Amino acid sequence: MSAPARDRPTVDTPAARPPLSTPAPVRTPARRRVEPMTVAVAVVGIVLTALATLSAVQADRNTERRLLQTQTRQAAAVIAGAVSTFEQTLGTALDVQAAVGDRRGPRVFEREFAKHIGPTSTFVEGSLWHVRGRTVRRIARLGPDAALSTAEAARIVRHAMAIDTTAVRRVERRGRTIVAYVLADRTRGNVVFAERLIPADRRAPVDRDAAFADLDYATYLGMPVGPSTLSTTDVPLDRLPLGGLTARAVMPFGDNTLTLVARPKHHLSGPLSQRLPAVFLIGGLLLTGAAILVVRKLVGARRRADDDTATIRSLYDRVDAHYGAQRDLFERLQRALLPQVNPNIPGVELATEYVAGAQGIDIGGDWYSAIGFGDENFAFVVGDVSGHGIDTVAEMARARFTLRAHLLDGNSPQAVLEKCSRQFDIATDGHLVTAIVGVGNWRTGEVTVANAGHPLPLLAGDGEVGFVQMPVGPPLGVGWNSYEPATFTLTPGSTLIAYTDGLIERRNEGIDVGMTRLVDTVRPRLGLGLGTLVQQTIKTMRGPDASDDIAVLAVRRPGAWHRFDAGPATPAAARRFVKAQLAARPVPTGVDTSDIVLVASELVTNSVRAGATVVDVDVRLDASTVEVVVEDDAPGWPVRSTTDHDALSGRGLAIVEEVAARWSIARRPRGKSVTATFEGRSPDGATTQ
Amino acid sequence: MSQFEVAVDERACVVHLSGEIDMAVTDELRAAVRDGLDRHDTVELDLAGVTFLDSSGLGSLVLLRNEASDQHKSLSLVNVPPMTHRLLQITGLRNTFDIRDA
Repeated sequence: MSAPARDRPTVDTPAARPPLSTPAPVRTPARRRVEPMTVAVAVVGIVLTALATLSAVQADRNTERRLLQTQTRQAAAVIAGAVSTFEQTLGTALDVQAAVGDRRGPRVFEREFAKHIGPTSTFVEGSLWHVRGRTVRRIARLGPDAALSTAEAARIVRHAMAIDTTAVRRVERRGRTIVAYVLADRTRGNVVFAERLIPADRRAPVDRDAAFADLDYATYLGMPVGPSTLSTTDVPLDRLPLGGLTARAVMPFGDNTLTLVARPKHHLSGPLSQRLPAVFLIGGLLLTGAAILVVRKLVGARRRADDDTATIRSLYDRVDAHYGAQRDLFERLQRALLPQVNPNIPGVELATEYVAGAQGIDIGGDWYSAIGFGDENFAFVVGDVSGHGIDTVAEMARARFTLRAHLLDGNSPQAVLEKCSRQFDIATDGHLVTAIVGVGNWRTGEVTVANAGHPLPLLAGDGEVGFVQMPVGPPLGVGWNSYEPATFTLTPGSTLIAYTDGLIERRNEGIDVGMTRLVDTVRPRLGLGLGTLVQQTIKTMRGPDASDDIAVLAVRRPGAWHRFDAGPATPAAARRFVKAQLAARPVPTGVDTSDIVLVASELVTNSVRAGATVVDVDVRLDASTVEVVVEDDAPGWPVRSTTDHDALSGRGLAIVEEVAARWSIARRPRGKSVTATFEGRSPDGATTQ
Repeated sequence: MSQFEVAVDERACVVHLSGEIDMAVTDELRAAVRDGLDRHDTVELDLAGVTFLDSSGLGSLVLLRNEASDQHKSLSLVNVPPMTHRLLQITGLRNTFDIRDA
């Protein structure tokens, strides 16, 4: 593991962003601990090495054993050849005896056999015997000194007469070891007896044969194999018996057996086979060591990579957190600059919505604004300051309040834009401002709009949905301009939607596609409450990768407003109007229409009694609620009294309070507006709150 | 055009009310009942035909009950429709009236 200091990240801090504090080292201190992976590799390596070494040892032993057996058999063949030479010598002597006859036999034997007798010859002693019946006679003798006594020799001769082959006897006598060979011609009774001396060093002349070159050996005459039967060997006697890897060959030797025990003098199968296990062992251990080193290196590299990943991730998290905090701040500022509550403008419904861009801190400069002024007038603005970020938000605030001030001064929309065009300059502000400004009368529904480079507002009413066709002037900030107004009527029940371009623009898409989509989105939703309509429109229109912010303002002129001249008959007229409205539209289930009629009657009665000259009545329905709105121009404020049973009036509001789910009252420039709300059951059956 | 009608049965001194009773007809209602109270000790107000009655109508009923009481005469309500029953309940006037079933 490396020292933490090596990996302490350095951060390239962009100038436009706040400096990041140096992150605390994420890396954990280097640890000296044994990786399970390393242990596994070591174990596998050692096991494989051991297996390879053992199998090489096994293979070598098998090869060695096979080679030793082969060589031992070859050596045994050499010995067998030597034995047959001895037998042949004896046999030849017998053949000569048979040819020359008994009379000349002994002399011939002494002459012919003498060449085989001597210290350096095959035998040291030789004799010719004749057996007839029970009589055993030695008829000729060669050599200086027989090891066996005549009686001992005679016993062996007699034995040789009983068998078909050569009798072979090992005899220890006076520190010498003798092997006696006795072969009989059983038909003629001739027997040749020879003694062969085994040298003191026990070396046999046969071991000069190449078959013995690689072997240590010992031969044993007769059974059991041991010191008492040892015949010849090429190792010092105190090294017997031969240990280690040995092979035996047992071969007939006359009437006896000769056992050859052999041991390799050196590795028979060659140096490679002998060293292969060691090669495997050393090579395997070296490979295991190398594998462990590689594994350790890989594991270390991976751990460092993990640590680096964690460091980088924590850096990103910090950056994200900083950006998030900054973005949150900007968005809060942006929202703080938008109207918190829509003004309660008589005669129109209003809904607004602002959605910040999805990514980054690049808060935009979209805004909306609505004002009610005079008795019957309202004004609205939807605007967009070009650019993103805090400067843009500040410029938006300036634009918003400047336009608002001009509107409150009573300027027409076109005059407001014209005045603003003198106040905004892209050269000094760095921003362009587009805006649509409208002023309307809620009683007549007449609306005048002027447009400074802004997307056309959508008008939905009388069964048609389309964009308000109007002259579009230059944006604010490009110099002095005058603007042409356009006028249209917001008929009862119709809706005007003004918005910023974020609503209709999507990447890689023409603007007219977005406008068509807006029409298609709004059309089926016109039956919804205005706030719901706006929310659903934004939700549907907003692209999945929307990065731009969106401001939407919608104005609806409710369809039911009816103005009555105040008089004793007004309550009855208002009741008929309310009944008709309820009959013409779907009333939410769970709402009693007679309650609504009663409440409308009470409210209108109050207005008439309060001295109103006109009373405006509206009935508003949506999926689960019904609202009755009664507005008048009377200066009085309603009072209620329910405790006095003798009071002649003042029970109206008590009834309203009891029958309606809730009611509210608001002052108007002249008079007041009272709204009573009735709750039905929403489609899922629950009573709305 | 609140179709309000008053029919007075002199023999039994029953005032039959029908139609919608709101602020527009309070004067007419009061005149009819006062006329009955002038000539009889007991007057029954039959609401069987009433299709609508609001707080203005209730106010008139309270006024007439008070006047009868002042003259030691009795004013009772018969055939009170459910909706009017409910209003009397809401306003706590239910027990201040003599309500009879016809």
